[in-house]
Amino acid sequence: MTMSFSPPLVKVESLHKSYGPNIQVLKGLDIEMKPGERVVVIGPSGGGKSTLLRVIMGLEKIDSGSITFGGKPYISSAGRDKKTIIDTEVRRSIGMVFQHYTLFPHLSVLQNLILAPCKVRGEKKEIAIKRAQALLERFGLAAKANSYPAQLSGGQKQRVAIARALMLDPKLMLFDEVTSALDPELVAEVEQVILQLAAQNMPMMIVTHDMWFARNIASRVIFCAGGAVVEDGPPEQVLGSPKEERTRDFIDRVFHIRQ
Amino acid sequence: MNYSFNFNAVSFEPLLKGLIVTLELTLAANAIGLTFGFLVALLIMSRIAAIRLPAMLSVEFFRCTPAIVQIVWFFYCVPMLFDVYLDSMTMGILALGLNLTAFNAEAYRAAIQAVPREQLDAGIALGLNPFQRVLYIVLPTAFRASIPVLLTNGIGIFQQSALVAIVAIQDLMYQGKSLATETYRPIETFTVVALIYFAVSFPVTQIVGYLERRRQLLMS
Ligand SMILES: Nc1ncnc2c1ncn2[C@@H]1O[C@H](COP(=O)(O)OP(=O)(O)OP(=O)(O)O)[C@@H](O)[C@H]1O
Ligand SMILES: [Mg+2]
Repeated sequence: MTMSFSPPLVKVESLHKSYGPNIQVLKGLDIEMKPGERVVVIGPSGGGKSTLLRVIMGLEKIDSGSITFGGKPYISSAGRDKKTIIDTEVRRSIGMVFQHYTLFPHLSVLQNLILAPCKVRGEKKEIAIKRAQALLERFGLAAKANSYPAQLSGGQKQRVAIARALMLDPKLMLFDEVTSALDPELVAEVEQVILQLAAQNMPMMIVTHDMWFARNIASRVIFCAGGAVVEDGPPEQVLGSPKEERTRDFIDRVFHIRQ
Repeated sequence: MNYSFNFNAVSFEPLLKGLIVTLELTLAANAIGLTFGFLVALLIMSRIAAIRLPAMLSVEFFRCTPAIVQIVWFFYCVPMLFDVYLDSMTMGILALGLNLTAFNAEAYRAAIQAVPREQLDAGIALGLNPFQRVLYIVLPTAFRASIPVLLTNGIGIFQQSALVAIVAIQDLMYQGKSLATETYRPIETFTVVALIYFAVSFPVTQIVGYLERRRQLLMS
């Protein structure tokens, strides 16, 4: 028997999240992500896409619901005071790249890459440097190892940010509109790097407004609006012939299908 | 005006001695201000109100009263209240150092709180614990951001230190006053004194300006 039951990589169950008493953002969200899937999340502005990714990254408190990772409990809200419990050990197997540049400005590219491996995992500096150089080489950034973030273009910064996250061997990568702050001519180089990761079967969850990229990277697309999943399916279906009226409206409006 | 200037009457030796005292005061006060300012900054950011509020109140006290009043109060009231008698130089250093501590604490606090939230999110996403986030992200970024203000405050104390002349510390200002009285040449003497203060302060303000311009470039 080679077949065995594999638990979902991420299982989000009836997730509720609000910012303060009046801003309900996620209203009972359910998502199950299988290992090896690449989920693209699309939806209108303010629909809660970033919030969803931030919750999965363990950056936000939740109101109720739970998330498991690889079958293990990861995030839950418990007790009478509904305290959010996050398993920080599990959190370390998730990496995230943000819309804004988040490289540490006082550290060189190489130092940005080795900080977490050395401090969090106690990796030997020489070994971390070797791995970092190999990654930079792969992303065409070898010449920038000793540059500081301020000396990089936006596209280079985002590629370094991706490399930095990969240094910790994540089992899941989260990308929140990582190209939307970039000049148009720099978008492709960042998307290429993510496609390269996809080719190596890195599980990922991606928020993007780029139709071409969504089509090429997704193994599954989720349309999220009003804090809940409206439509969920393979990219050809959700992007090509959506079943739901709201999905169709959104895709017509935002993606300006060029056919 | 038919005043005839005579700068030959101004002898530099006492002024130089005074300048050395002034620089000693400045350096010692800065040593106090830079270290204790940081500690006080941590206090005024404490989540515990019983720590935060008294710390904030003392900082505001120093920021909202004239330095000269603080110095005079220090010299006359501290010995009487606490029964401690220190030499006047030590008292001067303490008075200026505490004043600078209050201003530097605010500089540190502002710089620490200006560290963008995204940087900390990235730190969490990289698995750094809260202590590591402070040590490797917040403090290095904040220290760099606060350098121009710390330098400005530090050179401000160099100028404010002239106030201690009124409690008989023999600094540059004090030496200038005595010289002016001895020689009956107040215009020449105080002109030279002003130029000496300027010659020390001006390069520092230029450095601050350079650092701020460079910082804006780096942050963009
Ligand atoms: N820290 C916060 N405090 C208060 N409200 C917030 C906060 N972050 C997000 N919100 C609100 O929550 C809602 C969902 O925001 P979110 O950023 O998750 O949406 P989004 O789907 O990512 O939108 P966009 O496509 O514009 O990035 C918005 O109405 C937003 O204003
Ligand atoms: Mg968003």
